[in-house]
Amino acid sequence: MTSRTRYFVIASLLALLIGLGTGLVAYYVGFPTRAFFAGDGPDELQFVPPDATLVAFANVREIMTSDVRERARRALLRLPNGQEQFRNETGINIETDIDRVVACLGRLAEGGEGAGRASLVLARGRFDAVRIESLMRDHGASVADHGGVRLITGAESSAHPGGLSLAFIEPGLVGVGSASLVRAAIDLKNGGKSVTTNDDMMKLVRSLDAGNVWAVGRFDALASQAKLPSGLAAELLPITWFAASAHVNGGLRGVLRAETRDEASANNLRDVVRGFLALAKLQAGSRPELQSLMQSLDLGGAGTTVALSFSLPVEMFDRLGAAVGQGILKPR
Amino acid sequence: MVAPPANRPTVVASALRIFDLSLGQMLWSRRSVFLAILVGGPVLLAAAIRLATILEHLFVHAGNNKQIGGVTLFGMMIWLLYVHVIVPVLGVFYGTALIADEVDDKTITYLFTRPIPRRAVLIGKYLSYLTCTILLVLPSVVAVYFLIVPINGGSVGRSFPLLLADLGMLAAGLIAYGAVFALVGARLKRPLVIGLVFAFGWEPGVLLVPGYLKRATVAYYLQALVPHQMPLDTTTIGILTQMFDRFPSITTSLAWLAAMTVSALWWASRAVEDREYVLEQ
Repeated sequence: MTSRTRYFVIASLLALLIGLGTGLVAYYVGFPTRAFFAGDGPDELQFVPPDATLVAFANVREIMTSDVRERARRALLRLPNGQEQFRNETGINIETDIDRVVACLGRLAEGGEGAGRASLVLARGRFDAVRIESLMRDHGASVADHGGVRLITGAESSAHPGGLSLAFIEPGLVGVGSASLVRAAIDLKNGGKSVTTNDDMMKLVRSLDAGNVWAVGRFDALASQAKLPSGLAAELLPITWFAASAHVNGGLRGVLRAETRDEASANNLRDVVRGFLALAKLQAGSRPELQSLMQSLDLGGAGTTVALSFSLPVEMFDRLGAAVGQGILKPR
Repeated sequence: MVAPPANRPTVVASALRIFDLSLGQMLWSRRSVFLAILVGGPVLLAAAIRLATILEHLFVHAGNNKQIGGVTLFGMMIWLLYVHVIVPVLGVFYGTALIADEVDDKTITYLFTRPIPRRAVLIGKYLSYLTCTILLVLPSVVAVYFLIVPINGGSVGRSFPLLLADLGMLAAGLIAYGAVFALVGARLKRPLVIGLVFAFGWEPGVLLVPGYLKRATVAYYLQALVPHQMPLDTTTIGILTQMFDRFPSITTSLAWLAAMTVSALWWASRAVEDREYVLEQ
C-alpha cells in the first residue's frame, strides 16, 4: 500500500470516527438540538422552572405554513378563533410573529394568584414591544420592573385570576402567562435550575421523535386540565407520564405514549385501548370520512410503555371539512 | 492426487496481497474522479441547502414557503440519492470491473500466472472495492447528516440511531451489489451494459409489479432496511410503488442479502477458477 493510499484510508476513517463519536456523544449526553449549539431540546427550556408538570413545544412557523393547517382551517372555518382573542389582548399575531413556542404548566397555585395551575408560554419570534405594551396598557395592564426586565401584568379576569403577565425576556423571546412563572423565567435568564435539570422530564423529551409539535408531562397534570370524568381518571391512574409527538406537514403523523407504573397496568391499558379501537373501527364502518383515520391507528409499546401511533393524509382534512359542511360532524 | 506445494500461499494470504495491490489502483484511477463526484455531490447539495436555510433565517422573517424537518430531508436524500442511485451505480461500475478491467487491459494473465489461487484475485479485488466504496460513501453520509439534520430544529443526538441504521444499510447494499455485479463481471460479456440494465431497468421495473418477482432483486431487501419512510411520490410510478411496498422484515432482508452475497461470490469464484479468458488481440 502506498503512503498516499495509507493517508487516504486514515483520513477517511478519522472523518467517519469523528462523525460517529460526535453523534454518539450527542445521543447520550443529549447535546445539541442543533449541532454545536447549547442545550437539549429547544433553547427556551432553560426558562422553564424545574418543577413544571407539563412541557409542550410547537414549531409554529412550520405548522402555519403546512398544507395540513391550510386544509384544517378551510375545513373548520366555523370554529371559534382563539387567535383573535389572544391578538386583542397582547397584540401578537400568532400566524406571522411567532416562530416557535414552548409552553409549560407549573405546580398548583395555592390560593392567591389563581386557583388553577400556573402556566407559561415562551414564544420566539418578532415582536413590536412598544406596540404590545401600549395595547396591554390600554386594556388596563400595569408595568413593573423585575430583574431589569419590564413585567407587564394585565387586569384580572376569570381566565387569569392573577392577571396575564408578559415580559420580553431577551430579544425575540416573549414570556406570557401567570405572573409567578413569568417572574421565574426572568430569574432563570441569569442561570439557575431549569427543567433541563429534571431528569425524568428530559428523558422523555430526548426520547421523542423529531416532530414539529410535542408535549410531555405528568399524567395528573393532563387529567386535571382535561377535566376527565372521575371514573375514567381512576381507570387511567396507573399512568405516570405521557408523551405525545406529531409531525404536521404533508399529512399528520404522530405517536401518543403513556408510561405506566408496572407491566400489568400497561397490559390492562393496552386491552382497554384495544377495545376502544375495535369499537371505534366498528362505528367508523358507516362513516367513510373516518375510515382512513381508524385504519392508521396502531397500538404498540413494550414493558411499561403503551404507544398509539397514527397517520393522517392531508386529504383526510378535506373529507372532514366536507363532513362538517354536510352536518355529518358538528363542531362543538 | 497431487499435494499443493508447501510454500504456496493460502487463499486468504493471496487475497490480502491482491487487496493491498488493488486498493491503490482502484483509488487513484480515472474512475476515482467519477466516484468523487458521485459521493461529493450530496455533500455539496447538503451544504447548499444548509446555507440557503441559514440565509433564509437571516433575511426572510415570514414567508409562505413550506418547510420540512431536517430528519425528513435527510431521509429523502438517503432514499433518492444513496439507495436509488449511488449504491447501485457504485456496485455496477466497480463490481463489474473487478475482473472485466483486467481482461480488457489484457493484464489478467499477469495475475493468473502468479502462484496464487485464481479465486483469491476476485476476493482480493472485491475486498478492495468494499474498502474503497465504504471509506468514501459512509463519511459522505455522515457529512450530509450533520449538515442537514439540524435544519428546522432537528436533533443530531435524537436521530443518531437513524444514522447508524443508514450506515449499516448502505454498507449492506454495497456488499450485496458488489458481489452480484462481481458475478456479472466474472461470467458474462459486456457486464457493464448488463449491470446497468439490471440496476436501472430490471430492479425498479420489477418492484412495481405485484407478485414474487421482486424477490429476485437486491433493492427489495435493501429498501426494507431503510429506517426512513419512503418519500411521498404522487407520480404514477410512485403510487404504484407505494401500493406494492410490502417489504420483508429486517432479519429476513439481512438473511437474504447475506445469502445473495455469499452465493454470488462463490459462483463468481467458480467462474474465475474455471473460465478460460480469451484475450482479444
